[in-house]
Amino acid sequence: MTAITASELPPEQTVSPTDELAVAALIGEAYKSGTPVYPIGGGTSLDYGPQPARPGIRLRMNQMNRVLDHPADDLTITVEAGMTLAELNRQLATKRQWLPIDAPESVRATVGGIVATNACGPRRYSHGTIGDYLLGIRAIDGCGEAYAGGGRVVKNAAGYNLPRLMVGSLGTLGVITQATFMVRPLPTHSALVICDLPSFQQAECLLAALGQSRTTPMIVELLAGPALPLCPLPALPDTAAARLVVGFEGSAPEVQGMANVLCDEWQALGANGLTTITGARVDSVWNWLSESPAMLQINVLPSRLVGVLEQVAGILAASPLQAHAGNGVLRIYRLSPPAPLPQKGEGSFTNLIQNMLRPIATAAGGHLTVLATPADVELTPAEIWGPPRPGAALMRSIQQRFDPAGILNPGRFG
Amino acid sequence: MSNTELIRKLRAVLKPENVLSAPSELVVYDCDAFTVERHIPLAVVFPRSAEQVAEVVRACSDHGCPVVARGAGTGLAGGCTPPPNGVVIMLTRMNKILDIRLRDAMALVEPGVLNLQLTNALSGTGYHFAPDPSSQGTATIGGNVATNAGGPHTLKYGVTVNHVAGLEVVLGDGSILQFGPVEDPAALDLARVVCGSEGTLAIVTKIWAKLTKNPQSCRTIRATFASIDDASQAVSQIIAAGMVPAALELMDRGILDAVEAAFAPGVPPEAAAVLIIELDGPEAGLDSLLEQVIALCRNWNPGEILQAKTPAERELLWKCRKMAVGAVGRLSPGYMIQDGVVPRTRLPHVFRRILEIAAKHRVRIVNVAHAGDGNVHPILLLDERDRDLTARAQAASREVLEECIACGGSITAEHGVGTEKIELMEKLFAPADLRAMHRVRQAFDPASQLNPGKKFKAICQ
Repeated sequence: MTAITASELPPEQTVSPTDELAVAALIGEAYKSGTPVYPIGGGTSLDYGPQPARPGIRLRMNQMNRVLDHPADDLTITVEAGMTLAELNRQLATKRQWLPIDAPESVRATVGGIVATNACGPRRYSHGTIGDYLLGIRAIDGCGEAYAGGGRVVKNAAGYNLPRLMVGSLGTLGVITQATFMVRPLPTHSALVICDLPSFQQAECLLAALGQSRTTPMIVELLAGPALPLCPLPALPDTAAARLVVGFEGSAPEVQGMANVLCDEWQALGANGLTTITGARVDSVWNWLSESPAMLQINVLPSRLVGVLEQVAGILAASPLQAHAGNGVLRIYRLSPPAPLPQKGEGSFTNLIQNMLRPIATAAGGHLTVLATPADVELTPAEIWGPPRPGAALMRSIQQRFDPAGILNPGRFG
Repeated sequence: MSNTELIRKLRAVLKPENVLSAPSELVVYDCDAFTVERHIPLAVVFPRSAEQVAEVVRACSDHGCPVVARGAGTGLAGGCTPPPNGVVIMLTRMNKILDIRLRDAMALVEPGVLNLQLTNALSGTGYHFAPDPSSQGTATIGGNVATNAGGPHTLKYGVTVNHVAGLEVVLGDGSILQFGPVEDPAALDLARVVCGSEGTLAIVTKIWAKLTKNPQSCRTIRATFASIDDASQAVSQIIAAGMVPAALELMDRGILDAVEAAFAPGVPPEAAAVLIIELDGPEAGLDSLLEQVIALCRNWNPGEILQAKTPAERELLWKCRKMAVGAVGRLSPGYMIQDGVVPRTRLPHVFRRILEIAAKHRVRIVNVAHAGDGNVHPILLLDERDRDLTARAQAASREVLEECIACGGSITAEHGVGTEKIELMEKLFAPADLRAMHRVRQAFDPASQLNPGKKFKAICQ
């Protein structure tokens, strides 16, 4: 990937606290001196957002990686924010449980970072995103004060939903120190049904039909362009415009039954060349679909997704494209041509974003976001996220109240 | 501006027939379903659009008078009690389903649309709106959003916040904002923050509701137990086994007496408690899941285990549960329904404590519970004319909620804080937590124009 290495951040100092008190003390000091604090979880999203303009403290959270409470019989778990998603799921698996969301680079990505960036993957179609499991949170605000929101029970209407406020806040409302999640029982089996599609029109036809399917898919992924590296599936044939991958999870009879039913439904709609994958191979495909970090993301309503994908594919014929099609999320992996794009002018990265791709998203009522700015490119916030939103003043007002000195990830969000 | 001038202004904005100001008309709006605290509002208005809501909010703001948005008034915690000298903004005439987009599994509705109205409109489409509070026949979706309402099936499907894709809102300064429905990485997730804020952050004028595909099939059983302890042990064990039923509901003997008198479902008289358990999903796996659930129930000496064989039988089981609270009128002239939540492993303990607390305060308590969520709804029987009994019921109520806090739970799962539980917020949250909430409140509504005095005390200031 194009990740900027940690060494490219302003090299003021790096600290790796081991408990919340240390985080609070550090931010308290930073507040007094007006020193920026850049929290880092697994470092998988360092190239998301504008780069830090001011030197500051790199606050590495990966030493805070303990399970604090796992009352397994309650199906909840409380962990420190620096625990990785993979480690969390390894711990949960000992009780045949899991947090059923996915995020790229799960071996490095921390739960605090996933909350802060709202990272997600294919399973969001059925299981939702991390906010749907986040019951409670602790964080240190921009004055060095610890605060909590939510709780450790699965339903809670007391107080404002501060956990939801933290989701996608990119560290601007506090450094997350702990999170409590609702967890789910691990499914025992999974299966995939794969269909290569001669046209985008047929992709839309099959996707629309899923709404009335007798099956309950867990993931609905639409792939186009060249495959991402390490693809465990055969390459997309030249005759195909796109590939649909639908996944099921559950007991053995459930997944086998649903895979069969879906194949019948799709064949009735004229689909050919269906492949069903079961057993151990499913995991390799599933991981391949969820683990790669993308460069750009377009969010639209699901009904607009195929149209957007077709237009983007027309511009970026050599880029791997993957859509969480059931959710209207298109992920663009690397840009063609693979050689560095010119810094300025026609064909530059900025031109591609601003004049070619973002208009497609906007015309479809959606948003284009640059998730990873290439190392040799500098983008303004408007180029990364698009024009300021009508609610931007409200958002800034919230941020300012949690971080009056403007030291939490300054300049990196909004 | 005098009150008379404000009312004249509101009439000019909304037309006179949409503004109530006569004392005899206003008295109807002096409380919601939490009847202990009442205030007569200054006026009650019926806008029909976000623009009209915004004009009302601005006029009231100019006049220095707070507003409270209200749907059907089914709230149980006093969230819609008019603030002193406040104006009630009724959203019940904003009751249109504006769009149903099955391809996007989404409906765009106005806040006054009834929960059941949306589900009925979806009949035959293969989709439904998942939040299903027992009041769904009368409660509005705007109210569901304000309280983050739940219901029996939220055990599997989640509460209202999980089913909101976007909102259009009016802020305290009269500005209109839209959050969603397309996910926006450039913005904080403010739609979800407004959910459950009980009208203190914004007035919701449109809701993009997520629709849920109907399950392919379901199984519904009713199991009776010799004690509430056995029934709650069975619940804890089902959850601990890693099963996620669609619903897992508990009723005790006290409420069963009322239900039996009202609907005659034929629960054996010796049963001290029943569980209603529903499993749903692909047909292929359901029977084996049901067997596992029944096997777990058998660890706790169940009496009768009855399976609904037809949709009509299932309807009856659910009717008994959803209408249970309404049937309480057969037991006493009044009642107070509580809403507490504990970790699921603590259910047996909390039910034991509820019995002790009832005895201590000499109050009769009957129980319904969304047991699978750890969400208890003890119903305290009272007669509002008997002040001593009412005071004892309030004391018992408070003690039950303090027990929920002591168990690591919360003072409300789905009814909200309103005015009723505002004192307990300081027991549940640390001062810094409340300050963090206050910051959110200040950012949305610096003048405390929207429903002041609700949710937590800091915003009373």
